[in-house]
Amino acid sequence: MIYSRNIALIIFMLSTAVVNSESVLIQDITILDGKNNEPFVGNVLIDDNKISQVSTSSLRGDLVINGTGKILTPGIISTDTEIGIVEIGALSVTRDDSSNLYQIGFSIYDAFNPNSVLIPWNRSNGITSTLTLPQNTNSPIGGLGSFFVLDSSLEISGSKDVVMIGRVGGSGSESRAETFAIIEDLLEFASSIDSSDMKTYKDIAEIIDGSPIAETMDLHPRDLKALHKLVNDELPLIIKANRASDLLKLIKLKEEYDLNLIIMGAQEAGLVASRIAESKIPLIINPINNIPESFDELGANIELAGKLEDLGITLMFNAPRDHNYHLIRQGAGVAVANGMSYAGALKALTLSPVEVFKLGNRGQIAPGKIADLIIWDADPLEPSSMPEKVFINGEDIDLTSRMSRLTERYTKNKEKPNGYRN
Amino acid sequence: MTNLSKIPIYYSFILIILTATFVEAKPFESTYEPLPSENILISNANIYDGEGNEFLSTDLLIQDRKIVAIGEDLPINNTFKVIDATGKWITPGIIDIHSHMGVYPAPGVSTSSDGNEATSPVTADVWAEHSIWVQDPQYALALKGGITAFHILPGSANLIGGRGVTVKNIQRNTIDSMKFPDAPHSLKMACGENPKRVYGNRQQAPSTRMGNAAGYRKAWIEAEAYLSRLDEYEAKSEEAKEIGYKPQRNLEQDTLAGVLRGEILVHNHCYRAEEMATMINIANEFNYKITAFHHGVEAYKIADLLAENGICGALWADWWGFKHEAYDMVQANIAILDQALNGKGCAIVHSDDAIGIQHLNQEASKALAAGLRAGFNITKARAMNWITSNPAKAAGIYNQTGSLKVGKNADVVIWSKNPFSVYALVEKVFIDGATAYDRESNFEPASDFDVGIISPNKNRIEE
Repeated sequence: MIYSRNIALIIFMLSTAVVNSESVLIQDITILDGKNNEPFVGNVLIDDNKISQVSTSSLRGDLVINGTGKILTPGIISTDTEIGIVEIGALSVTRDDSSNLYQIGFSIYDAFNPNSVLIPWNRSNGITSTLTLPQNTNSPIGGLGSFFVLDSSLEISGSKDVVMIGRVGGSGSESRAETFAIIEDLLEFASSIDSSDMKTYKDIAEIIDGSPIAETMDLHPRDLKALHKLVNDELPLIIKANRASDLLKLIKLKEEYDLNLIIMGAQEAGLVASRIAESKIPLIINPINNIPESFDELGANIELAGKLEDLGITLMFNAPRDHNYHLIRQGAGVAVANGMSYAGALKALTLSPVEVFKLGNRGQIAPGKIADLIIWDADPLEPSSMPEKVFINGEDIDLTSRMSRLTERYTKNKEKPNGYRN
Repeated sequence: MTNLSKIPIYYSFILIILTATFVEAKPFESTYEPLPSENILISNANIYDGEGNEFLSTDLLIQDRKIVAIGEDLPINNTFKVIDATGKWITPGIIDIHSHMGVYPAPGVSTSSDGNEATSPVTADVWAEHSIWVQDPQYALALKGGITAFHILPGSANLIGGRGVTVKNIQRNTIDSMKFPDAPHSLKMACGENPKRVYGNRQQAPSTRMGNAAGYRKAWIEAEAYLSRLDEYEAKSEEAKEIGYKPQRNLEQDTLAGVLRGEILVHNHCYRAEEMATMINIANEFNYKITAFHHGVEAYKIADLLAENGICGALWADWWGFKHEAYDMVQANIAILDQALNGKGCAIVHSDDAIGIQHLNQEASKALAAGLRAGFNITKARAMNWITSNPAKAAGIYNQTGSLKVGKNADVVIWSKNPFSVYALVEKVFIDGATAYDRESNFEPASDFDVGIISPNKNRIEE
């Protein structure tokens, strides 16, 4: 065990040594920095895994990439995915996104599969890192998502359990009043616990035994630890909710329990936009989704993103949880077509997730930032555009995917039987 | 192969004449009436005509609900309304060949979930049009995406799921008044995982793909027998008919016989290459034609076979991975099919989705871009066929719509920019020469569902 870990370490050191040896200069490229600034033509120098310089004056680098006519953006961060934990939707044997046992403390981190075919595919479409979230559990708040950098390493690189999820709204099985009551009881319970009483597993088990809500919800020590982290450590909490009245109730909950709350879905946010703006709650919305899919979403509107942006609400985007998480780009394009600013839409894809979820030193093109960068052949918000190069941690990533291989198989060497092609 | 495919058409022609007296007065005929229209000159527009052509700074003339001319300096009189379209783009009305609007309306609640009669693997007797909720708020959203007609199908739970119907995108209070005049019915069939899962889970056939194949073939054998009984009866003299026994109508067999006569078009949900090939074998065995394979994530693997058989592929630009049979996605799928046999392929971009139907132009744009990257030489004007003339052909309405040919219905969309851009918005939609949507004047339909549902004095998405 120790032996293999050492091997891994040596390989890791060797590979970083190779990367370290050369700086990369991307020259004369149109830079969209992710931070609301106007596009400008300039030069970006990548040293080690970081952006060392950004300048309109000429710079020197070991390896020079001519960016004339191309566009440079930060890597796109998808905030609501199942990348690494679901391979094929309808095949439960490939799904690692739910737990039968745990509710609040269920973490998907250890299930992450760095060899998932979703990774090269989404990466070749511009996604460099992801917040991977589990399915909702039986508890209205519960389930922990992790942050993963989509580099090509078999070692997981990312941050474990950076967010908790939850949901409220029409479910068909319980009144939303009950949902809110459970959330309040759980938060109340967690707030009442002193950290010093939670030292051992046995301590925690005893606390659970003494609590009606914890018993009813069948909580385990793992669940209670997560809940405690939520109320004490500003763990971000993403709650899926859509109906205007639910959004207002969530604003109250945020204030009452001082939650680090993010709302996802928020189809009726337009009806209570000024209240959301005052609350400073960031939103994750799918700007292309204007379908009143449920009675909670009657206010769905294609112009939502632009209206929310006008009030200064921090926005991030999601796409349906179905493999093509890069389609948040198309969603961002639709948002711009329907009233959002271009820089705002790009920020929603890059810097905003970093700021909201504290994802480290990335999401922006500036000196000192981690070099997660995309060189685009054309406007990145046009769904027809594609990355020409993707850098993750300063490394120029091979953009081959299973899809590009299959395309090649059926467009080249067609004289051979398909089983004998590349 | 070519000779074989001609046989059913020849037979069906005779059969239509023979059976004309047998078929009862047709119920459920279209009672569609267009909206009030004007004669219109759209001037100085850039045009994709849906026939593979691009015209820059050109005029389009609409008179008496029809397209009467495309060209420069077209003669008009003072009865014409003139729309200056300088810098804008015109396309035919966009057509979606795969929609479940109305049968799976929004909100998606169980009480309106009417798309799958999942009670038996063969339900050729059911008609999607009898499930349609005319107040579905999604039609109006699709209209703002340029959709002028769409084909509504039953779902894919069954091997043979029932009849589909093509409608005009004008929301009305009866289904008949939305039905596209003279559009043929379709028959929805489904391969693969869905039927075998739905029935296999009930310990019932089919539970395997071979069970699926047996299920289709058994149904066609019965249909052949039904048809021959009809033929026998129809061949009799009038006297013999009077004393003879008239075969009893059977709704299921009516539909299947309609396919065998070439009157009803087969639209076949099928993902995998080998299953599509099997379905072609079955179609040849029973002498019917498959009009289009839908979803066909693996169409690119057998693109030449589809082109040889004159079968369209109604495909997504990029959906994949939700099922095992949808795992081998390539974004160049549509382009590869389009280019099969030196451009003889029939490629269609479909939605199967109430969001996707609003942005079929963007889906076509992604599919085109992937095709160009794969090395094909395809123009935007040709890619426009994927969402206009090709779906019109597959729906059997190409003689009426689907391209800006002189004499066709004036189903026309004016776009703010080139429609292959994500920033292009639909500015105006004309259906049969009548304005159905106008962004500038906020002229847009709202279904009864939308009225006063959030705030009593407003419509659902009104400011």
